[in-house]
Amino acid sequence: MSVPRRRRTAIAALLVLLAGALLLALTPAAPGAVRLAGVSLLWWYAGLVAPVLATGIAVVCLVRRRG
Amino acid sequence: MTALAAAAVWLQPVLLTVLALRVAAGDAEAPWLALGALIAPLVALLAATRRPTGANPVATVAAALALAIVLAADLVLAADAAVLLGGAAWHGIGLAAGLVLLMPLLPAPRWLGPAAPAVAAAALLLPLAAIALTLGAAPWTAWSHGSLRAAVTFPEGSGWVVDGERFSRPARLRFTEGQRVTVLTAGVYRVVERDATPPTVRAWRLAAGETLTLRPGDELSVEAGARLRFDVGRRVPGAPASGIVWADAPARGPAMLPGALGALVTLVGGALALVPASRRPGLLAAGGPLVLMTTVAAAVGWGVYVAAAAPDLALGGSPLAPLLRLPRRALGPPAADVVAALALGAVVVLLLTAALALRGRLAAIAGPPSLLWVGIVGLASAVAAWSPDPWRLLVLGLGLAAAVWTPALLATGRTAALAGSTVGAAAFLGLIVLPLVAPGAAAWLDTLVRYPALVAMPLGWAVARASGERAGARRAARTA
Repeated sequence: MSVPRRRRTAIAALLVLLAGALLLALTPAAPGAVRLAGVSLLWWYAGLVAPVLATGIAVVCLVRRRG
Repeated sequence: MTALAAAAVWLQPVLLTVLALRVAAGDAEAPWLALGALIAPLVALLAATRRPTGANPVATVAAALALAIVLAADLVLAADAAVLLGGAAWHGIGLAAGLVLLMPLLPAPRWLGPAAPAVAAAALLLPLAAIALTLGAAPWTAWSHGSLRAAVTFPEGSGWVVDGERFSRPARLRFTEGQRVTVLTAGVYRVVERDATPPTVRAWRLAAGETLTLRPGDELSVEAGARLRFDVGRRVPGAPASGIVWADAPARGPAMLPGALGALVTLVGGALALVPASRRPGLLAAGGPLVLMTTVAAAVGWGVYVAAAAPDLALGGSPLAPLLRLPRRALGPPAADVVAALALGAVVVLLLTAALALRGRLAAIAGPPSLLWVGIVGLASAVAAWSPDPWRLLVLGLGLAAAVWTPALLATGRTAALAGSTVGAAAFLGLIVLPLVAPGAAAWLDTLVRYPALVAMPLGWAVARASGERAGARRAARTA
């Protein structure tokens, strides 16, 4: 995959991760309020899962900018 | 530029401390703001290298103004710190502005610069680790404890009930139950009584030591610098009613979507303008995203531990209060003073590195910034002296950058950049002044007034793109 294409894919993935928080928080059934191990699904997602995934995506993309 | 140096411009103390305060206060927007505060600069680091496309006076003026507004938001924190520590607001603003002006003249930034954000991130995390170990609770356990609280009340050890605490900024306190408030600073206190229609407004001139009796529904206006003492065991005014309300924020729902989009577009658009793309691949490039993640996680962590251990610290709305006061509540002296000093030191380092990075961004668009930079710091100090809401200032600064500066950076030619910036600026200004020219504007316009970049940035970008394509087509026709 070329560098610009990989970069565009990574940005799209980051924006999808961001949209995921809105989906969990704002959909009428409030799926983000479900508790997992005492913490709401929304905070597991916005505080741990999405940040780790987003940072991983950015690191991989920035470290391997060529090739 | 390395990713770490690029990230420094994003790590504004105001962004991180307001995030911590909003998490602590159970703000409905906190989850997506926290995620947006991390993802916005990551998008900017990965975006195509954005180069200035030649002279663009509209973008240059907007960039200088945006940088001044963002810096002003940081200086409001310095004013808050001075008031919380017993001084006057201008002491904090003057000291911080002096340091910001002095830093570029010192040799230190040359070697300290790249590592400073990482050092500040560590200095924010270390106190948090000490608090977590003392409380014996991991962040998720602390979150769970906070969410199980039956009611958010003043505990016995709270500074608000022992000696009273100072409000660093004007506040309106809404009481959900009757309670007595002892005034420790003489002055005029306004109470809005809502038990009748229309509400009754009473102004009380009180001496230090006198008491106000407030009923459910009453609203007390407090001036910056006022010191108040509350009754132990009573509900914290303005705080969520319980842990469940803090955790699930009943206001959160589909109706918040426009505001959420506005906040996220402002963050991403502002980051595209402020955070330069990282051009150096390699292992060191990982430093930027990792420091961003650590620092935002630390901010969220501070908020969670405040909510679990001392939710009354969010009272008064000072973004610095959690950092300065949580150590004392969680650790006790003498460790508390060391830990609070470490956290404050982290904020000072972040302020200085962020200010230097802002100065670098100014140089990128307006050339060597010496005199212009002095003007920007002066303007920022004057704005901060009014004690505005620091979050509102940050949104305004990022929104202006997103609406006017970003379209210019994403344009393919000078004319396109100028057209995009002009349209973005016109839309942004139009929305900002809308409440003044049309006070009765429909409620749905409220989101656009709060987040003008939601419309102004896409509009500016679309015009820049269309102008660029038209210019490209003309060039192709001439070549043919």
